[in-house]
Formats: sequence, C-alpha cells, structure tokens
Amino acid sequence: MSIVAAQAAFYYMAAASIASALLAVTRRNPVHSMLWVLSLFLHVAGIFLLLRAEFLAAVQVIVYAGAILVFYLFFLMLLDLPGEVAGPRFAPYWVLAAAGGFGFLAMIWLARPAKVYLTKAANTDGAIALGSPGNISELGLALFGTFALPFEMASLILLAAIIGAVMLVRSRTVS
Amino acid sequence: MIIPIDTVLILSALLFGVGLFGFLARRNLILMLVSVEIMLNAVNLSLAGFSQLLNDPRGQVLALLVIAVAAAEAGVGLGLVIALHRNKPGASVTDLTELKW
Repeated sequence: MSIVAAQAAFYYMAAASIASALLAVTRRNPVHSMLWVLSLFLHVAGIFLLLRAEFLAAVQVIVYAGAILVFYLFFLMLLDLPGEVAGPRFAPYWVLAAAGGFGFLAMIWLARPAKVYLTKAANTDGAIALGSPGNISELGLALFGTFALPFEMASLILLAAIIGAVMLVRSRTVS
Repeated sequence: MIIPIDTVLILSALLFGVGLFGFLARRNLILMLVSVEIMLNAVNLSLAGFSQLLNDPRGQVLALLVIAVAAAEAGVGLGLVIALHRNKPGASVTDLTELKW
C-alpha cells in the first residue's frame, strides 16, 4: 500500500468518524443514533488497522460493535425510553454542553506544541504497513507476561460487573 | 513521516469533545451512556497512536483494559437504567431529581 493511499485512507476514516460521531450525538431517533455509533466504531477499527493495532481492531469490531452496541440496542428496544422529540430542541443544558465541548477544544489548542511524529524505524520503508506482520505476538507476551496481574484484575472487574448487574435488576419480590 | 501524531491526537480529542457534548446534551439515559462509549473510544484511539509512535505494546494493553472496563460499565449502567425504569417508568433524566424514592 503506497504512502498516499494509506494517508488518504487515514484522512477518510478520520473525517468519517468525526461526522459519524456528530450525527450520533445530534440525531433524535435513538436507533439512527445507535447506527451512527456503529459507523463510528467501524471507522475507528479501520484507524486501528492503519496504526498497526490489528488485535485492537479485531476486538473493536467483535466486542464493541458486535457485543456492546448490540447490548445497547437490545435495551433501547426493550425499554422504549421516551424519545427526545417531545422536549424543546435546545434545552438549557445545550449551552453547558457546547461550553464543555469548546473548552475541550481550547485544551487541544494549548496542547498543540507537543510536536512528535510517527516516524519510527519501522516506518522508514515508506508506508504504514498494512500487509506486514504486526506486533500481535509482542502484545500477547506483554499481556500474559508483564501485565498478567492487570489482565486478571480486568476479569475480576467483569465478574463484579456481572454480579452487580444481576443484583441491580433482580426482582424484589420475596419468594 | 507518514501521519503526524498530532493528527491522531487531534482526532482523538475531537471525538472526545463530541462525546462530552453528547453526554451533556442528551436527555435519554441510554444515549448518554453511548456518548460515554464514544469518549472511551477516543481515548483508545490516542492510546493506539502512542503505542505506534513509541513502538511499545503497553498502549495497546491499556486500550484492551479500557475495552474491558467499558463492557463492565455498559452492563452496570444498563442494569441501573432497568432499575430506574422499574421504579419510574418513562422518566427522562431531567425528572430524576430525587436520590431516594
């Protein structure tokens, strides 16, 4: 893959993910919003591929888009929460929300002088190597070697979340 | 130079800002939680960018742990939504002003 093609793919995915995120937070139909979030997740998975994080891209598609988002969609359809159609378009919180977003943009602008570039020895052959062997084995060694304890603690967090969710939604009737 | 790290970081920050805006502007609980997922995704993006920049797998390990925590957050958050829905059917966020009922 040539440099220009890789760069074009990156900028397309960046633009598409920002557009998807903007549509996701502004659409009024919750299901449309969810589908735009799906588009965002898939484009971010593409960016992960370009950044040579293949395993992260696979996990993004399988776990995020495949499991978590479907979970949200199930709940959306199960609960039938009130749509945002009834409320006024610009609630008072809208100003606060825009202020928060622009404050964050100001923070980016202040952090701009941190100029470091994605030029490493691995990239000198010219392209973001989509076809070249990635670093999955390195990632696996780190995950099961150096970071074995945090990895196991993540499973403990998931177990706690399962038990907590069951406790929260269980019926209160005494049998 | 293929892609300056600035681009990845600015993209990540913009996505985080959009997610923050969504979290503050939405009035539907489930869509607020989805905005949190957008923010977590933005953080993962910058972690993957730094992992590639420094040629170090630790960023990706951290991103994987963030995904695990996001899954846990989705489970507990949606459990809370169900509990709220059971107590106050059809309540929007602006109606939930009591700590106890």
